[in-house]
Amino acid sequence: MDAEAQESFREFVANRSSALLKTAVLLSGGDRHAAEDLLQNALIKAAGRWHRIDEPEAYVRQILYRQQVSRWRLKWPRRELSVAEPPEASPDADALSAAELRVVMRGALARLTARQRTVLVLRYFEDLPEADVARLLGCSVGTVRSTTHRSLARLRALAPELAALGRGDGAQPRSRDFSPVEVRP
Amino acid sequence: MNVEELVRDCLRQQAAEEPSAGPGFADRVLGARRRRRTRRLASVASATAAVVAVAVAVPLLDSGKDDVRPSGVLDSKEIHAHPDQSPPRDLISAGNVALAAYYTAKIVKKTDDVGVSARSYWLLDPETGRYRKTTKWSYVAVAPGMRTAAVLEQNLPTRRIGLLDLATGKVERWIPVDRGVGGLAFSRDGRKLVATTYHDNPDLRDKQPMEPSGFLWVPRFGKSSRTGFLVLDVASGKGSWAGVPADRDINARQDFAFSRDGRLVYAAVVGGHDGLQQFYDLAGREVAAPANEKYLRSDVAARLSPNGRLAAVGLTKERPDTSYSEIVDPRTGKRITLVRGAELLAWVDDKRLIAYERAPGSGEYRPMLVLVTIGSDKFVQLSGPHAPAKDFSRQDWQPIFAER
Repeated sequence: MDAEAQESFREFVANRSSALLKTAVLLSGGDRHAAEDLLQNALIKAAGRWHRIDEPEAYVRQILYRQQVSRWRLKWPRRELSVAEPPEASPDADALSAAELRVVMRGALARLTARQRTVLVLRYFEDLPEADVARLLGCSVGTVRSTTHRSLARLRALAPELAALGRGDGAQPRSRDFSPVEVRP
Repeated sequence: MNVEELVRDCLRQQAAEEPSAGPGFADRVLGARRRRRTRRLASVASATAAVVAVAVAVPLLDSGKDDVRPSGVLDSKEIHAHPDQSPPRDLISAGNVALAAYYTAKIVKKTDDVGVSARSYWLLDPETGRYRKTTKWSYVAVAPGMRTAAVLEQNLPTRRIGLLDLATGKVERWIPVDRGVGGLAFSRDGRKLVATTYHDNPDLRDKQPMEPSGFLWVPRFGKSSRTGFLVLDVASGKGSWAGVPADRDINARQDFAFSRDGRLVYAAVVGGHDGLQQFYDLAGREVAAPANEKYLRSDVAARLSPNGRLAAVGLTKERPDTSYSEIVDPRTGKRITLVRGAELLAWVDDKRLIAYERAPGSGEYRPMLVLVTIGSDKFVQLSGPHAPAKDFSRQDWQPIFAER
């Protein structure tokens, strides 16, 4: 990397690292340290081919998403996450304020698999259509669709308070599932 | 709210809460990269000559002393970009400049032959960092600082100007005026307002038949009802009116804006080439352009850099998917450099501007907001490109920038 490329790389990082870090934090389920590692690795890869990249942001984001998914594939040890609330039986969605629901949701998102979380971040935070998510993750649109569906179902299972949301079927609250999420052979 | 909405809401809030990466992140990445490369070199060497490898690797592994850890302070250079959003839903900003609002316009029929180009505004909600639609106002000018906007109600021209608190969305004060007002602009320090006065609604459109069938809504060029301008002190609401008779060389809406120092006003005029402007003193008399604004163009919104030493002017060079605009010396009009961008919209600081660049592809011109830097060919995309124009009676979103 020559001086000019370094300057342009520094400029890009100064301008974009905060936004990229936000995405990385979401992908990491709220783990800031894991997010910084994830982003650092993606930026190191981008720095290695800086001269050849036309759209650095798109390139770094793609590495972030794919790296996060392959991290799961590679069966890296999962970092322990602290859970904000005690594991007691909880009231249903109607009884919770929006702020409380967000806390519950945040805890549930942190317990999804990296792949499930990545798909939700791409669909609902980045607002990408299914086809773009499929292209970014290197899978089929059908896989994106089924992963989204399963991830939302998993969220409902992890936090029964959410089960009644948007359904109006008065589902009975169950005790929350605190079993480990990323179960691997 | 359903689960999808809650996921979206929760992710956005979590992202918004995250502090910035802080300065020094690039140094940290480059330091880590150097260390990794060194380790890789060391391990290759160890496979062939272990003794030499150890000797070489130890000093090399000590590199990266310049690794600066992020301090976690808010990075003032932070950029909020949403390249996937057009029109934007979430805050777009760079440094001290933000997309404070934007508007779209469409023709609303008044009679069979007359319509009005009516604007809908999306104002930034400082609480959520999202843009919120309002159809209450026919015209909005955002003051520097982004706390206040001056607004006009529907059915122009109006006889009062509202000062809207952008945090609460409520009008804090009304300034009554004795002439019909149709357009507004703040001075650079936000203390004065220039309100352009009109006899009739400046946004009227006439239905014009088009061969062989159909019609177009056309603005009333050459028949402007503009009468002059009011200069108002925002704090006291007091001011005076100056008459500037409309001539045939202006558009139906041709609003006045302040000169850089706020001592004069100017408005675009239509003439031999694009971007012409005429200056007036505050009594409405035509005067020559100030020395530092002589070479500016009325159709290039960025105008002078914050330090006043650079002037943003028009598009000068185009290659496929790549446009360049000119930066000139405001005193001499001589070119200093070229910068990326088809239209320079606002200076972020003395090196960077927000511009429109055309979306890649050979189709129609579809501008997108980008951040460009003097001396660099790269840009940061800030918004998605405008949608292809399907209906000429509608105007795609138009940005309004303000200093934060």
